[in-house]
Amino acid sequence: MNGYAAFLKKELTENMKNYRFLILFAVFLIFGLASPFLAKFMPEILSAVAADMQMGSAPVALDAWEQFYKNISGVGFSAFIILFGSCMSSEYSKGTLVLLVTKGLPRRAVIFAKYTVAAILMTACYWAGFIATYCYTAYLWPGTMLSHVFTAAFYLWLIGFLYLSILLLGCVIFKQTFTSILFTGGIVAVISLLGIVDPLARFNPFLLTSKNVDLISGAASVSEFLMPTVISIAITIIGLWFATILFDGKQL
Amino acid sequence: MNVLTIQGLSKAFGGQKIIDNLNMTVPEGSVFGFIGQNGAGKTTTMKMVLGLLRPNQGEIIVCNEPVHFGQTKTNQYIGYLPDVPEFYDYMTPIRYLALCGEIIGLSKAETYQRGEELLSLVGLGNVKKTIGGFSRGMKQRLGIAQALLTRPKLLICDEPTSALDPVGRKEILDILRKISSTTTVLFSTHILSDVERICDHAALLNQGKIVVGGTLSEIKALHGHESLLLEFPTDDALHTFKSQEAIQPLLDTAEANGKEIILHSQEMEKVQHTVFHVLAETALCPIKIEIMEPSLESLFLEVIK
Repeated sequence: MNGYAAFLKKELTENMKNYRFLILFAVFLIFGLASPFLAKFMPEILSAVAADMQMGSAPVALDAWEQFYKNISGVGFSAFIILFGSCMSSEYSKGTLVLLVTKGLPRRAVIFAKYTVAAILMTACYWAGFIATYCYTAYLWPGTMLSHVFTAAFYLWLIGFLYLSILLLGCVIFKQTFTSILFTGGIVAVISLLGIVDPLARFNPFLLTSKNVDLISGAASVSEFLMPTVISIAITIIGLWFATILFDGKQL
Repeated sequence: MNVLTIQGLSKAFGGQKIIDNLNMTVPEGSVFGFIGQNGAGKTTTMKMVLGLLRPNQGEIIVCNEPVHFGQTKTNQYIGYLPDVPEFYDYMTPIRYLALCGEIIGLSKAETYQRGEELLSLVGLGNVKKTIGGFSRGMKQRLGIAQALLTRPKLLICDEPTSALDPVGRKEILDILRKISSTTTVLFSTHILSDVERICDHAALLNQGKIVVGGTLSEIKALHGHESLLLEFPTDDALHTFKSQEAIQPLLDTAEANGKEIILHSQEMEKVQHTVFHVLAETALCPIKIEIMEPSLESLFLEVIK
């Protein structure tokens, strides 16, 4: 426990000092604010640029959330994976872990601490983005009542944990940042491809990132999210478990 | 008591045997020089002692406890300094030691006190800058400080002086000598003068085996022999000297080089008597007479031949 707490502290400091947290926080906040803004003003901007373009119905609050899910699940999480892709490789290449492990730092404490810090930062960034969208949407479309706004966001947040687990597994298996990121991207691509196959689609964690807007609009129900949630959590835990096992045998 | 015992240790990388049935013991309180060429397997052996590499065969005992790969239990007795220690650049030395202290489980006050003590021991007492701006020698010194934080019974240093300039080398050797009163030191090197300077025990690793081992004087006595160098002013003088009857038995093992001749023997006094007798009789005056002490270097070269 000593080792875990000490390494956790070191990881938190490190992510502050190397601006990783600051950059990610800014990215999520900007996308959080940009989502309602773009939803509201994009039609106006477009019609100003191309005067003869026919606009559909006036934008609504739901469009803001549609933007939010598109941006965060795409750009937001990608930025997270790219920046955290080097979380192990820099330790390997410099050999900084050798000194700490030979001092009695349990190897699994390294994995758990890295995961905890990534998860804490992801949570902070994600909900900051969410609050930004929520408040700005309420400001732009006052009086609009939408159901399941928090629940829908909760599911995408869960996927963040899954991505981090896969990323950490990749970081343990591969020594280079690039290959770890590629591994994560590959696994995520496979999961989303499996989402298209019909009998699997209902269980696929990918649903947690694709049907959030449907949940808010009422086109999907909470019960549809149950199985994917369970499976997503299960894969997260299995991924972490594998990471600790593989890391035990890893040459530092 | 032995702090470290290695029995029948073997390790191969991809079919190539690096360590082959290695046996070695490091007695408590010694400064142990682990000598070998580059690529002889010194680092590999040390990493196996630390449980960072899995041996193919053999047993390693540290303070009466067996070492298991991937486990860090025996590492509580060991302080480790890798050849190029790396730290987190954004930390100050005292902050880094604090991190180590938290991992070991020392109290804050104890870590701070011991940290300050060790930093002043290695000459980093007043350094407030972050490790990112450290020179190699400074990192090496901080490496020693972090290794000693646990008050280890055994300090393992992997080529601590190889990458340093003469001043840095001397400083590191002085620190190692200073701490040897409280800690057993095992350090690998290919710089033999370092071994002669501070070690009392040594082992020579060649082709994966210990070819020579023991106390320094034992090693020299067992494998070395003393030599007497004579230099004459002219070739003729040397020729005259060599033609003397009393000298003949010594010539079998002698080396002649220009106007010099080097006589080897296990009984140097007897040789000296003979030589001085001959010199007095023939009235030859050498311009130089020198007893050459057996050096580790000559031994090293002899052994790895």
